[in-house]
Amino acid sequence: MNGMPTALITGGTSGIGLALAQRLAGGHCLVLTGRGDGAGLPVDALFVKADLSRPEEAVETVASALRSAGVSSLSKLILNAGTGTYAQADAEDAATIRRTLDVNLVASVLMAHRLAPLLEEGRGRLVLIGSVAHRGSANMPSYAASKAGLTGLARSLRAEWDGRIGVQIIHPGPTRTPMHEKAGYDPGGLEKMFFSADAMADEVARLMETGRPGATVIFGARIRRLLTGKPS
Amino acid sequence: MKALVTGAAAGLGAALVQQFLSSGGAVVAIDRDELQGGGRLVPLVADLSDRDSVDALLPRIVEAGPYDFVVHNAGVSATGPFEQIPPQAYRRLLTLNTETPMVMTAELLRSGSLSKGAHVVFISSLSHATGYPGAAVYAASKDALAVYAKSVRAQMKKRGVHVTTVFPGPVRTAHAERHAPAGARADQRMEPKDLAARIIAAARRRKKVLYPGPQARIGHIAGLLAPRLTTRMMRRIIFEKLDRTVY
Repeated sequence: MNGMPTALITGGTSGIGLALAQRLAGGHCLVLTGRGDGAGLPVDALFVKADLSRPEEAVETVASALRSAGVSSLSKLILNAGTGTYAQADAEDAATIRRTLDVNLVASVLMAHRLAPLLEEGRGRLVLIGSVAHRGSANMPSYAASKAGLTGLARSLRAEWDGRIGVQIIHPGPTRTPMHEKAGYDPGGLEKMFFSADAMADEVARLMETGRPGATVIFGARIRRLLTGKPS
Repeated sequence: MKALVTGAAAGLGAALVQQFLSSGGAVVAIDRDELQGGGRLVPLVADLSDRDSVDALLPRIVEAGPYDFVVHNAGVSATGPFEQIPPQAYRRLLTLNTETPMVMTAELLRSGSLSKGAHVVFISSLSHATGYPGAAVYAASKDALAVYAKSVRAQMKKRGVHVTTVFPGPVRTAHAERHAPAGARADQRMEPKDLAARIIAAARRRKKVLYPGPQARIGHIAGLLAPRLTTRMMRRIIFEKLDRTVY
């Protein structure tokens, strides 16, 4: 790839991940992972088809795609892919719990583990996309747990990697993305209150510029966007 | 009174089993290692870090129920620099510490295996308050478990089941000994017997959370008041003194 720094985004083919990719496209070589066919991505982006519900295989696939493309350093590893199911504790079955933890937590741990040397090489930063649900959610217990796991991972890794690799976690508030429909959640009239994927990606990109260790995108961002006349 | 205890063969699990038995209760005790059964103790063997083993165990747990007291105690750590621990160890850790207690809780709820008035206890870690550089994935697993417990509490309460989450500091067990940094003092760790008694008492008093003992209470407060400073201190007193990788 050319002289630009490389950013890898998991779940980079829809929702917040894709909107973020479009914002980073000008200044970065992009590697985007997703389960689809990679249609409609920014030109020049390298698409890697990987299913994070099988974390070990997905990590292997991504690592070998990077090797083939000659990518030996990363400036940003953005672990954005996520899944969730809208169900209370007794309605979650083993398969749902395992899938949620695999995609959101296990895959993130293994991806960070495998690609840490590339991040160090690129003096880069691990960016975890959490959720406001990381403090708990009665309607999505295993989703909340998985995002709490990411929060804990970020906190301890940040201290451990101090001076070597940056670690940042950003918790998006409710956003209009395909995840809600897949999760079986119909927000009804509440959806008006949600951020668009574009607005959320703006906020995430802005926070990535600041390098703040952790941030939640919800009320403050909405008020600032209202005041500055940007659409939410 | 019937209790279900995971990780029952050693440490805190064994202490809990002893206390349930000596107060006249029956115990279904799960461990990877076979326990000596008999009397009011029913041992079940399973590897809770393995999905197939858990799937085979679930119907046996349901059959041996219902339960008045459940303690999700089984857990394992992985200490050392994050990159130096093999991915397979992280997978087993996350399954054992986080996934299995969640899968088991969902199954106990769905099958109606929790008596009215039952207590369900999740053993998280003081690292939930302090962070744990040198055991980042362990910390993640225990944060996930703590937030799962918090998330299901209200729904469980509607069914008359009370949830308590415990955030213990160091405990004097063989497991803690293996993972402790060089020069750590064993005499400052809490005795499993003492911890077991505190846990049972807290659950019966329907406490939502328990930070057992002065060390855990200080860690909790430090983490609340100065989270980043606390995690940096943890780095200094643990991560920088780790002289080996253990998983």
